[in-house]
This record gives sequence, C-alpha cells and structure tokens, in this order.
Amino acid sequence: MTATYALEARGLRKAYGDRPALRDVDLQVREGSVHALLGPNGAGKTTLLRALFGLVHLDAGELRLFGRGLDDGDRLAGVSGFVETPAFYPYLTGRSNLRLLSAYDDVPGAPGIEQVLREVGLVTRADERVGGYSLGMRQRLGLAAALLRRPRLLVLDEPDNGLDPAGSRELRALVRGAADRGLTVLLCSHDMAEVDGLCDEVTVLSRGAVAWTGSMSGMRAQAPDPTSRLVTSDDRAALGLATPRVRVQVHPAGGLCVEATTADLDRYVLALAAAGIAVRSLALEVAPLEQAYFALTGSAR
Amino acid sequence: MSGALVVLRWELVKLGTQLRVRVVVLACLLGPPALALGLGLRLSGPPVDTVYGRYVLDSGPALSLLVLGFAGMWVLPLLAGVVAGDLFASEDAAGTWKTVLTRDRSRDDLFVGKVLAAVTAVVALLALLALSSLAAGLLLAGTRPLVGLSGQLIAPGRAVVLTLLSWLLVLPPLLGFTAVAVALSVLTRSSVAGVAGPVLLGLLLQVLSLVGGLGLVRHALLTTPFSAWHGLLTSRVALGSFLQGAVLCALHLAVLLPLARRALLRRDVAAA
Repeated sequence: MTATYALEARGLRKAYGDRPALRDVDLQVREGSVHALLGPNGAGKTTLLRALFGLVHLDAGELRLFGRGLDDGDRLAGVSGFVETPAFYPYLTGRSNLRLLSAYDDVPGAPGIEQVLREVGLVTRADERVGGYSLGMRQRLGLAAALLRRPRLLVLDEPDNGLDPAGSRELRALVRGAADRGLTVLLCSHDMAEVDGLCDEVTVLSRGAVAWTGSMSGMRAQAPDPTSRLVTSDDRAALGLATPRVRVQVHPAGGLCVEATTADLDRYVLALAAAGIAVRSLALEVAPLEQAYFALTGSAR
Repeated sequence: MSGALVVLRWELVKLGTQLRVRVVVLACLLGPPALALGLGLRLSGPPVDTVYGRYVLDSGPALSLLVLGFAGMWVLPLLAGVVAGDLFASEDAAGTWKTVLTRDRSRDDLFVGKVLAAVTAVVALLALLALSSLAAGLLLAGTRPLVGLSGQLIAPGRAVVLTLLSWLLVLPPLLGFTAVAVALSVLTRSSVAGVAGPVLLGLLLQVLSLVGGLGLVRHALLTTPFSAWHGLLTSRVALGSFLQGAVLCALHLAVLLPLARRALLRRDVAAA
C-alpha cells in the first residue's frame, strides 16, 4: 500500500452476532480530498468509522491511516473527528471538556482552546455546562474537539445534524476552507443533497458493502436524467407528445412524471406550447445524483 | 506525564465536580462531629451494645473506633461503590467512551488511570473519616486512657496511634471492595450495579458471617478483615487475621482487576 491515501481499507469485515455490518469493504480516501461516505441508516457507515477509530474490533481486513496499520501505537496521529452525535461530560463546562480532551492528546503545536472555540462560534457559551447544550451546540463542540488535534484527516459523522440552516452553511464553509488548506475530510451522511457541491469523491455503502465509489463528477456522469413533475392544461394530450428521449408517464399524485435531459425537456415544453397545451407547473422531482443514490442503495425517497 | 497519570488527574477533577461524591465527602467530614454533638448534648444515649459504644464518653479515640466498627458493616463498601462503581459505567451512560478513545490515550491508560483515581479517592475518604471521627471524639471526651478489648488500659498517646493504625488495617478490604465495584462497573456497564453491588455484597457477607458452623469459610469472606483491627487493641497484639485478610484482598485485586481490564480492552464500543 502507498502513503498517498489518508485512509486505505481493504476487505473490512465486521458482524454483530449473526448480523453482518461490513462485508468486504474497500475504501480509499485520497489525501487532500473531501470524501463523502454515503448510505442509508444501517448501511455500515458508522461501523466503518468506529473501526477506523479502533472503537470496534474488525473480524477481518486491513485498515491503514496515512500508511500506519491498526496496531501501530500512534496510528491516530493526525486523525480526529466524531462518530454519531458527539458526547461530552454533561457536568463539565464546554471549555473544561476541551481541556480534558486536550490533555488526552499528544499533539505538538496544537491550536489553543480559545482558537477552536472561536472557529466554531462557541466562545460565549464555553463556560456553561454541556448538560445544558442543544444538539447543535454539541455538534459545534465536537468539531472544536476534533480541530484541537490539528488533524490531517477530519472524520465527521453527519456534522450538520441539529444545526440550523445558518449553522449548516457555516459548517460547509468551514469544511470547504479546511479542505482548501490541504486537510482531508471524510464526511459521513445519508443525504446526497448534503454532500453535493462539497465533496470531490464519494463512496456509497449499502447493506454493509460498497455499492459505488469514485469521483462526484463520475457519479454525476453516470446518473440518470432528472425527473420533473409536470402539470399541463391537457395531460392526456401531453402524454401523446412523448418521444423516446423524453419519457413521460402519469404521476401517481396527479400530472405527469417526465424524465429527460434539460435540453430535451426544453424541446418538449416548446412542443407542448406549439400544440396549444399550457404548462401550469414544472418542478424538479428528483435530482440526478439523488436518483443515482436511490438506485444504488435501493432506498425509497 | 505518563498517560495513566493524565487520566488519574482528570478522573479526580471529574469526581470532585459530581454531586454524589461531594455529598459523601461532606458526610465523612460532618457525620462524626454530628454524632459527637448528639452524644454530647445527650440527644441519645451511647450505643452500649456495640464495640466501644459504651466508652465514647470516657475516651476520645473510642468514638473513632465506634465509627470504624459501624463503617466496616456497610459504609466502607458504600464508599467503594460510590467512587469506583460509576467510574467506568458512567462513560457508557454518557456515551463518552467514543470521545476519549478517539484521542491519544490508550484503553490501558484509561483503565489504569481510572483504577488509580478510585484508589486515591477511597483512601482519601477513609483518611477523612478517620481524622474527622478522631477529632470529634477527642473534642467530646478528651484524651483520657482507652479501655482495650482485653480490659487493659491504653495510655492516651498510644490509644491515638492504635486508633489510626486500626483505620489503616481496613484499607485492604476497602481496596477489595473497590476492585469489586470496578469489575461490576466494567462488566455490567451499569452505574446502579457498580454502586449498589458492593453494598449488597457487603450485607450478604455480613449475614453469611453470622451463620453458625461456617468455620474456615468465614475467613474467606471479604467483610471479615474489616474487624482485623480488633487484634491491635487486645493485651497481646494479634495480627494473624489482618494478614489473612490482606492475602484475601490481594487475591480479589489479582483476579478482579485483570478480568475488568481484559473486558475493557476487548469490548466493542458500539452503542451510541
């Protein structure tokens, strides 16, 4: 194995009793990339992250972080993040929790606690007990705790869970900024829309196995045409104008379901107008990437 | 500073911020003076049917020995449970294993640091209870000679020394109960089991020790060494039961702590 990967996993297997959680999972995360790990609940994402941090023992497989094996004493050097919702000691303040975690690290030149608190916007609430924090504040504190380790690989498990839209936007900017500074980010999510535009690479897990892995642009290229919902003044006549490149069927909730490229959809709408059929509404129903994700994971919308 | 010592420091900080530990500290500090005050004001008569109960108004160290005898029954197992029974299980309850195990400290560092914190805290609480009860007794009854368990008179200075040594002699069984609490805390992942387990075990063993015809079995009970201090206060000092108790407690530590450590090292941290 080479050291050009921040994370390299081969043939990972893990079962909880009779239930397989990971089935021969291979994963490669390039240094400096923002890599999405996608999958519905129960796909094995969290088990993979737990294995990465050594929280669970693998049944088989090889996992290397920056070229270091699982048994190396300092294998977590340069790696930080959180798995599921970050958890802290509720009877300690946010600042004391960070002090404790900082003391548990051996990171030369680590950023100060004030600096990471500022980065995540928690300075004013840092002296309150964590027991009184909202879910969003705990997410921010989790991110601060991760940044304390001055990571080269930042692992985030659904980091905008509990954040309001503004907080979510700030988080995306923070992740993007970290990636621009050369940090590798592994972002775990069950929502394609959350990672679209943020990640360079994606691995989709389904039922404990890798369903797809590659670049976001590659996935976009392979994605099916977008699906739109169309309501016209005469849906029956509109259905008759469908072509092999514009697949039209009746939408179960009323109107029509149209699957076509943007250019073909434009031509179809112009043809409707030419035939005297008015378009009353046209809305994107499923984005191409989402459609690909649903097809790969077999999950319903 | 080594990894385990860093953990020890922070475990002590965490213990110090928890309400139940603060309550226990206050109880150890203020309980004996409150008892002395009650006896001094004649709110209740001396407990004459207990060891040294009848002498609490005659000699200062007697009150401390009365408290020691009482503490050996269930207070010391409770101290072990409150301090050590929650140290590991509380990480499960708060979901914080995944937080601390994603830093540079190893599971071994965490185990050793937490056990050291438990030992440090129970020793400190024992010392606090000993000093508080001795000071309260001296304020109540002064420094008159103490009547020994063979009826001999013990000079005041020697009585104080023997009283402090008596408290020291209950350290092995206290550490034994601490090991029980640690093992329960790790293996059951339940704070209730970790805290209440040592108390229930202590009570069960006390009842067993009252059953007649047990003979040698009585020597194998973890509660028996709590009364080893009696041998210090007889006319001929007898430390045989203390040594037996020390071996018994060492066995508990040698079996339970490696068992708990192994369970912690091998377990999957899979719950949220």
